[in-house]
Amino acid sequence: MSAQPVRIAVVYHPGKRPKPIWFELNNRQHHVKETTYFWRDKAGDKRLLHYAVTTGEALFELVFDPATESWTIESQQIDE
Amino acid sequence: MNKEHRTVLHLDLNAFFASVEQQANPELRDKAIAVVGGHGRTVITTSSYEARAKGVKTGMAKWEALRCCPELIIVVGDNRKYTYTSTQIMNMMSDYTPLVEVYSIDEAWLDLTHSLNLFGNAERIAYLLKARIFQSFGLKCSIGIAPNKLLAKLASDLKKPDGLTIIKPEDVSRVLERMPIQELCGVGKKMQRHLNMMSIYTCGELGRADEARLTRKFGILGKVYKAMGQGIDHSPVVQAEETDEVKSVGHSMTLRRDVSAREDILKYLLQLSEMVGRRARRYGVAGKTVHLYVRFADYFSSFGKQNTLSNYINQSDEIYKAVVNILDLADVSQPVRMLGVTLSNLQYHSLQMPLFEDERRKAKMVLAMDAVNNKHGEFAVTFGSLLKNEEKGSHVISPAWRPEGIRNIDVQ
Repeated sequence: MSAQPVRIAVVYHPGKRPKPIWFELNNRQHHVKETTYFWRDKAGDKRLLHYAVTTGEALFELVFDPATESWTIESQQIDE
Repeated sequence: MNKEHRTVLHLDLNAFFASVEQQANPELRDKAIAVVGGHGRTVITTSSYEARAKGVKTGMAKWEALRCCPELIIVVGDNRKYTYTSTQIMNMMSDYTPLVEVYSIDEAWLDLTHSLNLFGNAERIAYLLKARIFQSFGLKCSIGIAPNKLLAKLASDLKKPDGLTIIKPEDVSRVLERMPIQELCGVGKKMQRHLNMMSIYTCGELGRADEARLTRKFGILGKVYKAMGQGIDHSPVVQAEETDEVKSVGHSMTLRRDVSAREDILKYLLQLSEMVGRRARRYGVAGKTVHLYVRFADYFSSFGKQNTLSNYINQSDEIYKAVVNILDLADVSQPVRMLGVTLSNLQYHSLQMPLFEDERRKAKMVLAMDAVNNKHGEFAVTFGSLLKNEEKGSHVISPAWRPEGIRNIDVQ
């Protein structure tokens, strides 16, 4: 699955990293049950924030680009 | 500093890559998992304790690991998760002492000798570190506390996972008396065999061995081995910026599939030359010696040769020309499995604009390419013949990886 832009609801806490609440994929709203892991990454001078999130049904990787304030879904893994 | 009264802590992140993957994906927790690289034919990089209990070992081929443990879940590793996590944890350690020596991506020593007044005692610092690492990443670590690096590492290896072992100065001889020599950091299988042939099996026996006998066998290292057997190690904990100067810059890659055609080999060599050149230029070094390493498809045969040039180079095309010259000396009679390019004999090198127009234009072009790649990421702009290469950049975290400096390789 290549990175694709996503419609998302996020809570921005002052002094904390943004917290994804839900996102839409394939016309379906997925509620984030837990952010299981977080890491930062860089591509050139671009800094990206990666979130591994679970909806209870599947694991997704959401990526936030602070420079453009945009979110993408990088990968998805359906639990068996 | 009184070397007799040092307090050194060694921290080892347990089954690091596998534990990170188990945290990122709750479905993997408490299960036998193994982490592999991104290619089709890589080996097991590491495995969870559940997999190790079934006999899965680092370095096994995937099929071999699955034979040991049919329920094994193979996970393709994500190096950027590991390098980020490691960097954050190493930064946490710096909150307790500036003397942090990063040994690898998942191991470090801390010299706490001068931090004890601030934080109470070493045991408290160990528990604070464990709690912070678990709270932030859900990861467990084993910690050893001892009067020196050798013993601290030995202590952290004694209880895994999630251990805390303290070797007090007065307990050193008792702990080492029956400790097998192979438990000492620096005694590998070959050394163990040599020592066993001398009827030395435990650290106690090594510490009592006749120094002259050890010196006859191992040269000047004989004295070092005897001291190790006695738990003596005066080596300091050295911060990253104080470590020895980097002696070489190199990259290697195991190819996705064996290649035979010369033009394919040349493409990979150009890519490796660009990676070496980029890193050398980024850190302002240039080298005179270029080394090429080729491992062939049968895995056992290889070719390695170096060439020392008359001038220092760090431009990718110059490195490439030098390795191609070396390749021309090789007998490439079978397909190639792995290639490596290294630039050594380094000196710090400030860029001087060449006198002649052609050279000046080329230097400006390299500067412009580097500027674009710094901004947009490696290989954003590169040589046209590399455009179709399947995989670009580093995909393996080398043991020499460090959170900062020239050894900080941007892995994919």
